Amino acid sequence: MEARHAVVLVLLFCGLAAFLISAVALLVLPGPYQRLHALTPATSLGLPLMAAALAVDTGPGRAAVKFLVIGALVAVTGPAVGIAIGRTVTETSAVDATASGTGSEPPA
Amino acid sequence: MNVWLVAACVLLAAGMGPCLWRACTGDPAQRLMGITLGGTVAVGVCLLVARGVQRTSYVDVALVLAVLSPAGTLVFCRCLAGGGRPEARKARTRRS
Repeated sequence: MEARHAVVLVLLFCGLAAFLISAVALLVLPGPYQRLHALTPATSLGLPLMAAALAVDTGPGRAAVKFLVIGALVAVTGPAVGIAIGRTVTETSAVDATASGTGSEPPA
Repeated sequence: MNVWLVAACVLLAAGMGPCLWRACTGDPAQRLMGITLGGTVAVGVCLLVARGVQRTSYVDVALVLAVLSPAGTLVFCRCLAGGGRPEARKARTRRS
C-alpha cells in the first residue's frame, strides 16, 4: 500500500462522504431556503475531492488536468446555480403569495 | 470490481435516490434542487465509472455533463421564474 494509493483512497472516501451528506441534507432540511444549502457539500467539496483523487491516481499528465478542470468547473457553477434557484424560489413564492394573498417572505 | 466501481455504485444508489425523490415531489421551484444535485451526482458517477472500467474516453462524458447540467437548470429557472409568464412579470413590476 503505497502512500499515493492511501492518499487516493482518503480523497475518494472524503468526496463520497460529502456527496452522501448533501444527499441526506436534501431529504432532511425542511424549508426551501434551508434545503438550498444541501447542494453545497456536493458541488464545492464532494466533486473537487473526487476529481483530486482521480488526478492523483492517474499521476501527472494531461488526464489529471482534465479531472481538475471538471472539478473546478463544478465548483464554480455550483454557487451560480444555487443563486438562480434561490431567486426562482423567491419569485415563485412571491407570485403564489400575491395570488393567494398570504405573504411568505424569505427569512432575513 | 475495484474500489472505483464500488464507490460509483454507492454514490449512484445513495446519492441519486434522494435527488429523484426531491425532483419528483413538491413545489416546482424546489424540484430544481433535486435536478441540480442529480446532475452533480451523475458527473461523479461518470468520473468513477470512467476510472473503474479503465476507459478514459468516458471522462469526456463527465466533462460535457458538467457543462450542460448547470445550463439546463438555468433554463428551468428562467422558465419557472416567469421569463415568459406575464403574471410573474406583473408581480415583479408591482413590487419594484
